[in-house]
Amino acid sequence: MACLHDHSCEDHDCSSDWSLYKHIDLSKISALNEATPGSVKSVFKAWEHRLNSSGEHLESNEGDPELLVFIPFTSDVKIKSISIVGGPDGTSPSKMRAFINRDGIDFSDAQSMQAIQEWDLAENMQGVLEYQTRYSKFQSVGNITLHFPDNFGGDITKIHYIGLKGEATQLKRDVVATIVYELMPNPSDHKTRAESGGGLSHVG
Amino acid sequence: MVLEATMICVDNSEWMRNGDYSPSRFQAQSDAVSLICGAKTQSNPENTVGVLTMAAKGVRVLATPTSDLGKILACMHGLEIGGQMNLAAGIQVAQLALKHRQNKKQQQRIIVFAGSPVKHEKKMLELIGRKLKKNSVALDIVNFGEEDEGKTEKLEALLAAVNNNDSSHMVHVPPGPNALSDVLISTPIFTGDGEGGSGFAAAAAAASAGGVSGYDFGVDPNLDPELALALRVSMEEERARQEAAAKKAAEDASKQEKGGGQHAISQDATMTENKTNDLWKQDDESALLQQALAMSMDDPEVSHDVRDTDMSEAATDDPELALALQMSVADSAKDSASQTDVSKLLADQSFVSSVLASLPGVDPNDSSVKDLLASMQSQSDKNEEERPNEEEEK
Repeated sequence: MACLHDHSCEDHDCSSDWSLYKHIDLSKISALNEATPGSVKSVFKAWEHRLNSSGEHLESNEGDPELLVFIPFTSDVKIKSISIVGGPDGTSPSKMRAFINRDGIDFSDAQSMQAIQEWDLAENMQGVLEYQTRYSKFQSVGNITLHFPDNFGGDITKIHYIGLKGEATQLKRDVVATIVYELMPNPSDHKTRAESGGGLSHVG
Repeated sequence: MVLEATMICVDNSEWMRNGDYSPSRFQAQSDAVSLICGAKTQSNPENTVGVLTMAAKGVRVLATPTSDLGKILACMHGLEIGGQMNLAAGIQVAQLALKHRQNKKQQQRIIVFAGSPVKHEKKMLELIGRKLKKNSVALDIVNFGEEDEGKTEKLEALLAAVNNNDSSHMVHVPPGPNALSDVLISTPIFTGDGEGGSGFAAAAAAASAGGVSGYDFGVDPNLDPELALALRVSMEEERARQEAAAKKAAEDASKQEKGGGQHAISQDATMTENKTNDLWKQDDESALLQQALAMSMDDPEVSHDVRDTDMSEAATDDPELALALQMSVADSAKDSASQTDVSKLLADQSFVSSVLASLPGVDPNDSSVKDLLASMQSQSDKNEEERPNEEEEK
């Protein structure tokens, strides 16, 4: 795959290396303490667009720099390194803690649990820094949760890009997830096109 | 139909003995709780609801989030009243109960009944609110019972701290003749963020108003959801089929009527072609109306009178032609009479437009038609007018 950026590629990794974002199950990404619900999806993009800060980015709530990002994958992946592009003026995260294959972690869990790995981050405005993982521990990752407990002194934490480097296996970790059977048919699951256009006549 | 786990915090403090809500504040609260449980489980059968009490011997979880309605109703029975409400502890325990729910995919929601005075500081409540927001828990507050000056202010501060994108609500229910549950039915607490529980709410309101006849098609969706669904789908299909048939009849009527204009046949043809080639094909009824009106105005520069006199001349010259015209119009009227109201309306509209076209005094039409043709948006305007028009007539 040819490199699209205009400088030489010996210094930087090609975007094909950072292509794990393609294996992320975007519909199931969630974040805790984000200011705009759903904004977390915007930080997973191609390597070339990592510095493109004109679009949406992930922000935490006012006065609270903690962020928790849950990233599920469509198949098991091996993660080699992670890159984070934060915001200016102290809004970049200063620490990162990762948890693997744990569902439904919230802040109290994240603070009390032992992370699988922790990193001290630097302000990485150009997106050239990558943080290596202990590869043996990241061999079959079905989902990863990133906890950013603190930043460089700003009021909020901003993240513009999260890049994951590694390889994707074709294996699926949980083929059988939680099964919840239908207790009774749910009419909204069976909407026809005519229905969704016309609508019911309401009584009362 | 949001997948949700809800914890309801019930206030069973001494203030609930008061009778300003009939029969007593506590009874009204119990009714409201059972109604909420029903609404939640009906809007999505995989929803779960749990209950805890905030006063008496302390915060006590009566039922962890479950979809079993019977269990919740049973635990509401035989509750003792006493003590003071501990709002902060109640909310925190509710949050803990939700954290340990079985299905992690469910959204978390807490519904608080605040009937007695709030003894906590505003700051503390804001702190709790922020923690709930951070863990994306929504909060609904039912403010009833005691009317303290500070209480409403504190609860509003709590709501402001929790509220994320309008997912949290507060409802203030003053004492009065209406039951607490009736007032709550129309609030976002029941209807959710979309049309979620409105079906349940409508059915409940109809049931309380009078009998089984409140349901669509006379079938209770609770008893037989498949039958209700089948009836609804077949009704929609029937309506679509009738509209298609009506449109076809209206087309025939306008075609016959156009054929009568001798002087403008070729122009009509080109006009018709232009119209049908347009994107206006999307909405056939308004397209037909457009055609009829456009045909009536034909040459904007040339006065209508010329054309109309042509028509009337043609009619008077050829009584047979006039008779044929009348018959074709009558035919379309007869056709529509045999069809349903909907198609009758459509035929009427094209009939009316054709009548207007043949009248000498068409000035009102003139200006309106010019407006229509002038703006590009004429089609969508007509759409909006047609739709509410039809709905009204229906």
